[in-house]
Amino acid sequence: MKLENVAVLGIGMTRFGVYRDRSNLDLAREAGLAALRDAGISFKDVGEAFVGYIGAQPMTGIRAMKEFGLTGLPVTHVENASATGLVAFRDAAWAVASGRCQVAMALGFDKMTEMSMGGRGAGRGVGRDSIDSVILPAAYFSLWAMRRMHERGTKPEHFAAIAAKNWNFGAKNPFSDRQPDHEVTIEEVLASRKIAEPVTAMMSCPVDDGAACVILASQAFARRLQPGRPLVAPVVSTLQSESYARGHTFMGPVVGPPSMTRDTARQAYDESGIDPKDVSVTLVHDAFANEELEYYELLGFCREGEAEKLVEEKQTHLGGRFPFSTDGGLIARGHPGGPTGLAQIFELTRQLRGEAGPRQVANARIGLAHLVGGGSVCTISILERK
Amino acid sequence: MSESPKVRVPIEPGFFTVPDDPSAPPRLLGSRCAACSEVFFPRRHVCANCLAQDTQDVELSPRGTLYTWTYVHFPLFGSKRADHAGGYGVGQIDLPEGPRVQAVLSGGPGDFRIGMEMEVELETLRENKEGQDVVIHRFRPVGLPR
Repeated sequence: MKLENVAVLGIGMTRFGVYRDRSNLDLAREAGLAALRDAGISFKDVGEAFVGYIGAQPMTGIRAMKEFGLTGLPVTHVENASATGLVAFRDAAWAVASGRCQVAMALGFDKMTEMSMGGRGAGRGVGRDSIDSVILPAAYFSLWAMRRMHERGTKPEHFAAIAAKNWNFGAKNPFSDRQPDHEVTIEEVLASRKIAEPVTAMMSCPVDDGAACVILASQAFARRLQPGRPLVAPVVSTLQSESYARGHTFMGPVVGPPSMTRDTARQAYDESGIDPKDVSVTLVHDAFANEELEYYELLGFCREGEAEKLVEEKQTHLGGRFPFSTDGGLIARGHPGGPTGLAQIFELTRQLRGEAGPRQVANARIGLAHLVGGGSVCTISILERK
Repeated sequence: MSESPKVRVPIEPGFFTVPDDPSAPPRLLGSRCAACSEVFFPRRHVCANCLAQDTQDVELSPRGTLYTWTYVHFPLFGSKRADHAGGYGVGQIDLPEGPRVQAVLSGGPGDFRIGMEMEVELETLRENKEGQDVVIHRFRPVGLPR
């Protein structure tokens, strides 16, 4: 179903990175106050809130909301693994579209560096002596990469080229965790520490802390409050869980079937009437570089088997036909979990407003954000400058 | 004269058999839908394909084909075994009954290729308080020496 009459009113985020001496609530307050400031409203104007995180205790979301004041508004917790923030955005957009409230807030935060494994570079599931969940997430996505190389002759250089692109975008984004001080090369990415064949450390997202917030409102409210600013409107927001197909693995479900992204994208395009060739800028779940390559095809930016050509022709760089991960993506900007999807909306909004500075896509009109979560859900939102 | 083998117990019940003879391959425990015949691992009550609430327990073939694999250069979480500190293989194995099983692989990074035949085996993770060996399933390339 198409979203009608909703606009992005305000955006805010912390730079993603390691914040040893700052709490989730502290990070959430910084992002939320920045979004309220950007929106030009007070917290008492917010009619409903959706809060997402993965790593913190139950009810941490309601505690985070108290940082802004106690106004009695309804607060709902949202958790969908890596897709959490983008699903909170979806719920907030629909709260406005349904007429239930005039202004809604989506807030995400997380401290991945504190998640049960003691520090950066580790993965989930440490110490869990169980039949399942004992394998590093990188392994699952590497299984995808190895099969791709077997079927299509893809080279590690293709994955490295995508990673280098995203690192170099990170250098142009002050909110990016990774901001390299030099042009990152394919050779440098390939030479970094091997995580799981063929994925190297520089092809993988960092373990991050951070927060991000998006405020949505009715378009009438946005036009009245921000007469001089381009109106950025979410036009569709889809969410699917897996559908069964032969070859599904029921244990270790971190990746999920690739068809999940294809099906969710098809729904988003069908409901919005937007064609992938109309999309100006795209952000995806590039936790590992080989994922981004697969999404070129699954999101319909090229035919099956042509993603490698897109890489070789640099079509997903700035100035190419389909710029991808312009804020650095999960690989450079970072991936704390809860706030990741809201950081994507932050970037798309800046692109569509024309505020993206050195990484601005010329005449950006339509932006697409994609995330998968826990190998079990996929969500896609498309935003348009009106 | 041979010493009596230690008792082996699964890390979690209901996923695989533990044969009394340590040289016999274990069997993964799956379900077959009585309505549409789709087979699953691990066991489930409701068929994921046709939603019938009528599945039967089946023991799956010990051998299958390697669909994809990787070799992880990180210690294996949940394992106390020192030989995983240098890394371990992970793969997806297609069993003849249909299920694709994701599991840790036995062997080094040079031992795997897509399409090869794999066989399930049990690996001892640790000893429990009762002095029994706690075991988990792994897949090993057929013919790869132990």
